Amino acid sequence: MKRFRRQLAFGLFALIAATVGALWLNGKSNTLPNYAYLTGWALLAGMFVLTIYNVRKKLPFLPLGKSETWLQIHIYLGFFTTLLFLIHLNFRAPHGWFEVVLAWLFVLVSGSGMVGLFFSRVLPRRLATRGGEVIFEKIPALRHALKTEVEKLSLGADAKSLVIAEFYTKRLAPFFSGPKNFWNHLAESRREVSALLAELEDLRRFANDMEKEKIERLGALVRQKDGLDYHRALQLALRLWLFVHIPLTYGLLIFTALHIILVFGFSGGAR
Amino acid sequence: MPAAPTILERPQRWDAAFDANMTDADVERLLATAPFSGMDAEKFPKRTPLREIIRNDMRILKFRKGEIIMRQGDYGTSAFLILQGAARVVLKPDLAPSLLGRQATNKKGVFRTLAQLWNRSRPPEMLPRTLLGQSSGVSARQNEKETRVFLQDVPRILDQHRTAQMTAGEFFGEIAALSRMARTSTIFADSDDAELLEIRWQGLRDLMKYDDALRAHINRIYRERALASYLRATPLFKNLSEEQLGRVAEAVEFSTYGDYDWSGEYKRLAQSGSVRPEKEPVIVGEGDYPNGIVLLRAGFARVSQKFGGGERTLNYIGAGQIFGLNEIAHNWRNKDAAVNFQFSLRAIGYTHLLVVPTRVMEEIVLPSLPKNELPPLVAKHEDEFDSAPPEVATREKVGAEILEFLTENRFFNGTASMVIDLDRCTRCDDCVRACASTHDNNPRFLRHGPSAGRLMIANACMHCADPVCMIGCPTGAIHRESFAGQVVINPTTCIGCKSCFTNCPYDAIRMVEARDERGEFLMDQEMKPITKATKCDLCVENHGGPACERACPHGALTRMNLNNLDSLSKWLKL
Repeated sequence: MKRFRRQLAFGLFALIAATVGALWLNGKSNTLPNYAYLTGWALLAGMFVLTIYNVRKKLPFLPLGKSETWLQIHIYLGFFTTLLFLIHLNFRAPHGWFEVVLAWLFVLVSGSGMVGLFFSRVLPRRLATRGGEVIFEKIPALRHALKTEVEKLSLGADAKSLVIAEFYTKRLAPFFSGPKNFWNHLAESRREVSALLAELEDLRRFANDMEKEKIERLGALVRQKDGLDYHRALQLALRLWLFVHIPLTYGLLIFTALHIILVFGFSGGAR
Repeated sequence: MPAAPTILERPQRWDAAFDANMTDADVERLLATAPFSGMDAEKFPKRTPLREIIRNDMRILKFRKGEIIMRQGDYGTSAFLILQGAARVVLKPDLAPSLLGRQATNKKGVFRTLAQLWNRSRPPEMLPRTLLGQSSGVSARQNEKETRVFLQDVPRILDQHRTAQMTAGEFFGEIAALSRMARTSTIFADSDDAELLEIRWQGLRDLMKYDDALRAHINRIYRERALASYLRATPLFKNLSEEQLGRVAEAVEFSTYGDYDWSGEYKRLAQSGSVRPEKEPVIVGEGDYPNGIVLLRAGFARVSQKFGGGERTLNYIGAGQIFGLNEIAHNWRNKDAAVNFQFSLRAIGYTHLLVVPTRVMEEIVLPSLPKNELPPLVAKHEDEFDSAPPEVATREKVGAEILEFLTENRFFNGTASMVIDLDRCTRCDDCVRACASTHDNNPRFLRHGPSAGRLMIANACMHCADPVCMIGCPTGAIHRESFAGQVVINPTTCIGCKSCFTNCPYDAIRMVEARDERGEFLMDQEMKPITKATKCDLCVENHGGPACERACPHGALTRMNLNNLDSLSKWLKL
């Protein structure tokens, strides 16, 4: 982990240095008449750099440097911009509905970014440890194949087992009908699937040899489906945060533009 | 109850003849033609008689003037004998890439780079008609068996290039076929009645084995044309004088192991899950007397050691690497405490190698090496890796599981494999989107593939050291890029024959339907879609390297030469 540790050490050092510098400057200069403009423009510049990372992502064929470097800058600048935001607010709560909305947008964009950072550092390792790597888009087809096999085993022409048919209707059909246990998987809890497997095992008491073989196979299929659900839940989480982060960023930019217009419109030449 | 197994006759070598249309009359005619007429049929074993080698490993081909027989830079599995008519070899200068079905690769300039901003919305895999209609100086014609490419303006080529004519009785292509090196020249038919005998590699190997004259002939050519320059470029022999080098070249023995067409065999074995080192041909056995060092000229070999009831892999070695130097250098310095080979060496797929006998090593090569360049003495304890030669220390670096995984899947063949660290990959598919944006809106790889632990090798072209996909391309569309050696496909000369697609053991080539500017599928006269082979080209035309690697936000994807595991070991420790 040498390179990543080096990146982390450098990033943290830069962030701490910038934070100390900004706070020192804030202590010295916050009495200046144009100080709010200065921090505002600095905040806007930071937001601009943060936003153009998405543009870089959309132009992979241009030699604009590695996305990895851009992300490192995005992360540390993101933290620093949050500090600039607090300085710009003068560490006070915003007032007026417009400022409250603007502040909330900033908080949500920053917060979703931090959640995304946490997910992208934690969830891939969990997926790799679980194994059974699968492409997200293929999950529905694989799930359907499992569902068909379970249906055939439980209700097919040669199924001939009331015990299994009943269990299928009651427990297996809902489980295989779609993705399940999103939050459990995210929280790394196996409670639901363990309960289902335990109930399936209980059926052995009423099963003949042929049915026992089927129960064995059904157990394997439940585990496979659980694996698919696990991958779906974690891979979905790795994508979902972006659906909050990016649209809200555009909302934030629009409100920021309006904020600048309002400030300049009502400042009466105070700059 | 388990299903009854399917009982088949065990497949035999000649179940599929090179040409099923070879008649008895053809065989009789060839047996009466030199060099076969001079061969002693009695020397061939009953299992592989001369007559059957001719019937099953050879085919007669007819060429018309200007038709290309082989191209410089192609990989081929066979040698040719001129039976009738003439062929012409291009000596200097080489033919232009366009005449060989290739595309001269140019890095995109500023305008072409920026033009991608507004060209991105065009249909995927679009092949403009203007590009299809371009005259490249060659045309293709279909005969009853295959597609032939011919040079349109032979007189002009004769004017502008130094060439030499070859006539009936002359052999060519045997060195490339035996050593699995790229063809060194382009040869085309020089008369309308040119009749050639194509001998596939297996047949040539057997002919050499049982006919002294042919063996001596090919050995002489090999020593003259290929060996001297190869030895001169080998660092181990850098201190030798020309005279000493000549003596080494005289003493070198060369041989081939394994199956030339290993990719098909490997695919079958991989699917049945029976790729096992114990089944690979042994080049050197652990405990054997060290009678020479082994220099790998082409292909790969597995260094292994007995472990329990099987063999455990310690490393694999590829072209240019040496096996056995440690033991021979040790014995030279410690005559009283001589050791045998400490490890086994087994051919993986196809291996072509040179053996420099111990006597020559002791008399000429080892005395020329400065003390500090001699390998360390062999360790006394079997499991002591401190003084292990570099070729076995790898296991310690990357770990046993990953080493076995890479070897079993033959990933050491890749010079630019797409390696993904699953611990860091967020499955965001930025790499896939970047690839599609850079290549006609169609990604050239699948972000999925075999994995071991946190390592995944994606289904992307690995730009193999031994590119089996290049064997058999009828138009030369798939070729090595001349500067950096990437394997690329020229879409304008690809005829969609699927030869490369079928040959690739790693499923890294995909057949796609080409479209016109309106997004409609291009169709032939029979209303079948025109297909093209596509694969990763390592963004050879773009600045900044492969887009997939640059697009990964988490540093989870890299393109790596897996023939040298140092870089992998470093990357895993990042």
